[in-house]
Amino acid sequence: MKYTKLSAAAALLAGSALVLSACAPGGPAENSDTGSAAPEGNGDVITGDFGEKYTVEPADSGLADLGEIETQDGSIAYSVGEDEFISYNSMTPETYSTYNSAVTERLISTFAYFGTDGEIYQNEEYGTYEKVSDDPLTVKYTINEEAVWSDGTPVTAADYILKWGVENPRITTGSGEDAAPLFNAISQSFGEYVSEAPEGDPAGKEFTITFKEPYADWPILVDTALPAHVVAEESGMGMDAMLEAVRNEDAKALAPAAEFWNTGWNTSPGTLPDESIAPSNGPYTFKSWEPGQSITLTANENYWGTPPATKELVIRFAAADTHVQALANGDLNVIEPQATVDTLSQLEDLGDQIVIQTGASLTWEHLDFNFMDGSPFADNLELRKAFALCVPRQQIVDNLIKPVDPEAVVMNAREVFPFQDTYQEVVDAAYDGSYDEVDVEGAKKIVEAEGAEGTKVRIGYSAPNPRRSDTVAAIKSSCDEAGFVIEDVGSADFFDKTMPQGDYEVALFAWAGSGQIASGRNIYHTTGQQNYGKFSNKEVDAAWDTLAGSVDPAVHAEQVKVIEKGLWDNLFGIPLYAHPGVVAHSADVANVRDTATQSGAVWNAQQWVRAE
Amino acid sequence: MLKFILRRFGSSFLVLLGASVLLYVLTINSGDPLADLRESNAENRDYLMQQRTQFMNLDMPWYQRYWTWLTGVGQCFIGRCELGTNRQGQEVVDLLGLAAASTLRLVVLATVIAMVFGIVIGILTAIRQYSGMDYAVTFLTFLFFSLPVFWAAVLLKEYLAIGFNDWMADPGFTWPAAIVAGLLLGVVLQAVLAGPPRRRLFTFLGAFLFTVLAIPYLDWLNFAQYPQLGPVVIALVGAAAAVGATALGAGLQNRRVLYAGLVTAALGVVSYYATYTLLWDPTWTILLVLAVVLVIVAVAVGRLMGGFSKGAATIVSLFTAGVMGLLILVEHLFRAWPGYLEIVGRPISTIGSQTPNFSGTFWEDFLDKGTQLLLPTILLALISLATYSRYTRASMLEVSQQDYIRTARAKGLGERQVILKHAFRNSLIPITTIMAFDFAALIGGAVITERVFGWKGMGEMFATGLDQVDPAPVMAFFLVTGTAAVLFNLLADILYAVLDPRIRV
Repeated sequence: MKYTKLSAAAALLAGSALVLSACAPGGPAENSDTGSAAPEGNGDVITGDFGEKYTVEPADSGLADLGEIETQDGSIAYSVGEDEFISYNSMTPETYSTYNSAVTERLISTFAYFGTDGEIYQNEEYGTYEKVSDDPLTVKYTINEEAVWSDGTPVTAADYILKWGVENPRITTGSGEDAAPLFNAISQSFGEYVSEAPEGDPAGKEFTITFKEPYADWPILVDTALPAHVVAEESGMGMDAMLEAVRNEDAKALAPAAEFWNTGWNTSPGTLPDESIAPSNGPYTFKSWEPGQSITLTANENYWGTPPATKELVIRFAAADTHVQALANGDLNVIEPQATVDTLSQLEDLGDQIVIQTGASLTWEHLDFNFMDGSPFADNLELRKAFALCVPRQQIVDNLIKPVDPEAVVMNAREVFPFQDTYQEVVDAAYDGSYDEVDVEGAKKIVEAEGAEGTKVRIGYSAPNPRRSDTVAAIKSSCDEAGFVIEDVGSADFFDKTMPQGDYEVALFAWAGSGQIASGRNIYHTTGQQNYGKFSNKEVDAAWDTLAGSVDPAVHAEQVKVIEKGLWDNLFGIPLYAHPGVVAHSADVANVRDTATQSGAVWNAQQWVRAE
Repeated sequence: MLKFILRRFGSSFLVLLGASVLLYVLTINSGDPLADLRESNAENRDYLMQQRTQFMNLDMPWYQRYWTWLTGVGQCFIGRCELGTNRQGQEVVDLLGLAAASTLRLVVLATVIAMVFGIVIGILTAIRQYSGMDYAVTFLTFLFFSLPVFWAAVLLKEYLAIGFNDWMADPGFTWPAAIVAGLLLGVVLQAVLAGPPRRRLFTFLGAFLFTVLAIPYLDWLNFAQYPQLGPVVIALVGAAAAVGATALGAGLQNRRVLYAGLVTAALGVVSYYATYTLLWDPTWTILLVLAVVLVIVAVAVGRLMGGFSKGAATIVSLFTAGVMGLLILVEHLFRAWPGYLEIVGRPISTIGSQTPNFSGTFWEDFLDKGTQLLLPTILLALISLATYSRYTRASMLEVSQQDYIRTARAKGLGERQVILKHAFRNSLIPITTIMAFDFAALIGGAVITERVFGWKGMGEMFATGLDQVDPAPVMAFFLVTGTAAVLFNLLADILYAVLDPRIRV
């Protein structure tokens, strides 16, 4: 035998590559073909500006009315990011996040929601509310007669009475210095602005709340209410006793309820809370949760309103930088990637199989002056003007934002956005266009007149952030010519250290619009907690006080103009642009709509449906 | 020995304790745990900050926070581990269990593959030192070793996931593709097998012709969508495995060993028919029982037929049985493939460890988890291939210059025995150390690989914890990886003593 070990190995290798079809034994049964029924036609499909499809064209920025539809089988996959779902109760500071809300907002309905441009709409399928009196401000809420939790219990005023107790700063453990809220709730505004529990039959569908003073943001005060009957049951308190304790603000009696409310819905990843404690009153309900992978929602059979267009919604936990390829491979159907030029060109390479929607978001970038002692800008309006004249706003938008969102414009207001209807009106009233064009010469003259040549301007921001570094570089190349010396002091602890210590002249950062009308008071009012630069102006303060104390939209509109004018005239800072947003989705998924709000593309997930 | 082990344990414990203080302090000072709230303009921002400060004990001095954590961990000794909660209020113990499970699933296979292939490549390149193959393999392993993971992952996803899935929709080869594949295989095979020019030429031609003919044939069979082996192939490959293993392990002149291997192969074909219905939709228990039966039968055949070469015969028939078992598994996976394709459409995902809500037969489920494991396993194995192959090569070369190798050759032993029995065994000693460390590092996870493929493993837990300046998950990670490092280090020391009699004290 002349075999060698290696030719034997070759035989082994060659053998494994051989293929001869031959008699394989028959199995017990053939795999029965689970033929899927052809999807039902949804009638005509309308194509939108970006090539996206709609089964019904939206009439305004709110949810489109799909009419009578039947839920189509199948599933659509979406991802917010790699963060795991945490808890059914997303109303605690620990669990409150866009990741968690992406799931819970599909499960629990609210009276109001934000349209794609940030406008507030009533969710009439769930219920309605109306202002019944201005003084005192009284609002009456009516829950849909048919509204039920998925366990069959009707949604009633009791849920909202408990909510008022949960978000009540007067229900505390301990007292004085040691007082801590009994319920670990995300917000305490409800109890703060409304001093008496909602009035109405706990078992009924109506309740009324009376504000102790006029409150501008009353339409969105009452949001997610968790099921009171579950809390009553699980804490062993019983509904009547619990609501009685809530009305009396009796912290001691409420302890068991608070204990359940704070932690009772928390489960370890992969374990869905039991159906009996986590019912749904929205279009979807839980189906399954694969820890670290995805959570699947399925149509809520007990939902009384328009059923979801597609039966299953899969929310996968995948890091944002994997989304584009996952979309290309069909692992995800709808994504919201980072709005950068790189991502956009990757998406464009995918061709016709996907649709890209770009737009602006409610988050906006701005330069704010430091008014603290020691800042050269603090008491020098002329110098602030000089700086505003040399900042190349149009160039910044053209170079950094337009490649992503071709519609992007320089923002000339703070409280309204370019894509909102009232924007032009407000800008016309408040801003004269002085800073539209870069005027280095004009800036130089002012700097020289003020004798401020060589003034060091430290521009701080939270680093690393390439876009902000580029922005500062653009400002530097323009403003250095005007006589300023721009210094980039972006650092990782900007908000933590640099800003509170006042070690900057100009801050570059963004505010995320909350959709509230009066939230800006915190930023621009002398007493505002977020007035980091210590700006103070009597007229602006007065206008904010008037706005926040009024519930009349006409007053709001008027005061916004006064405020914007005051902020421009005194140069609180310089608005730059609204951040761009990108949504991309498989071309066959219809009804996906980009939104400027923080709820994300998933805001109308119940309407997503596959259409040919 | 016991005293040595105990002393090692004592000092390791102190090291762990010191390291935990250091890591805790570093973690809580690594950033601002309130960073995300500072830029928020929510009305209740200050209240949220206050609530988080309370929840994470940010107002306590570091030693008090550390002490709280340490007392929680201390309860592990009485069986009630209290590793605290992360910033979202989730129990870290639960997270740790899930993360460790997912990490192990991800890296164990890759590490084993890297070890086996790395060692084989190391031996081959050492035998053919300074040949064209040696240079080519050295170049390739270093290339793989220096690949940036995130970039390689993106490429793999582009070609092996998206590209492959697109191809699967309408599989087929063109003639140029078949010819290129044939040329490649021919060049590689002749380099591996080597020999005089004539033999190289024949090897090359054989491989080339085989590939160029086989690919269109497979295409014609629509193998990509309806793959199958069939009993003939299984029998042929099984027999080839028996012959190959005998040639390597005992030499073909040893008929008893050869026949033991062939009988095992024949039994394998019989069991292919016998278990066909049983394996139609099995469970893990059935597979496990069958695996045990397989081992028992193989050992019995080897011992009964081996005669004087019992040992070698047992090893050969075990190897053959293993190959037969794998072939039978592959046959069933092939059978399930068309059904699986029908369910998922695009078989290889770019993210995740399984298709959400997948339900199918045992084999379809197996395929689903297997296909998702494919890309990260390839990536991790390619990258760690270099370490093993280079260490084995160096170690083999060093050993083959020893006096006892020369002695072995001088007394007339065959090349097979010199390499496998004398050189290879001794060269394994230093590799043991790397293996032990590698297994310890395993549990630490692969941060980037986990991230790009969407697995929630240990690395991800650590990275997220650090990012949120959240000490509990970071410390849990440390606890597990630190302990594993210490334990495996100890194990390596003990193994060393077992393997190498010279250093036994």
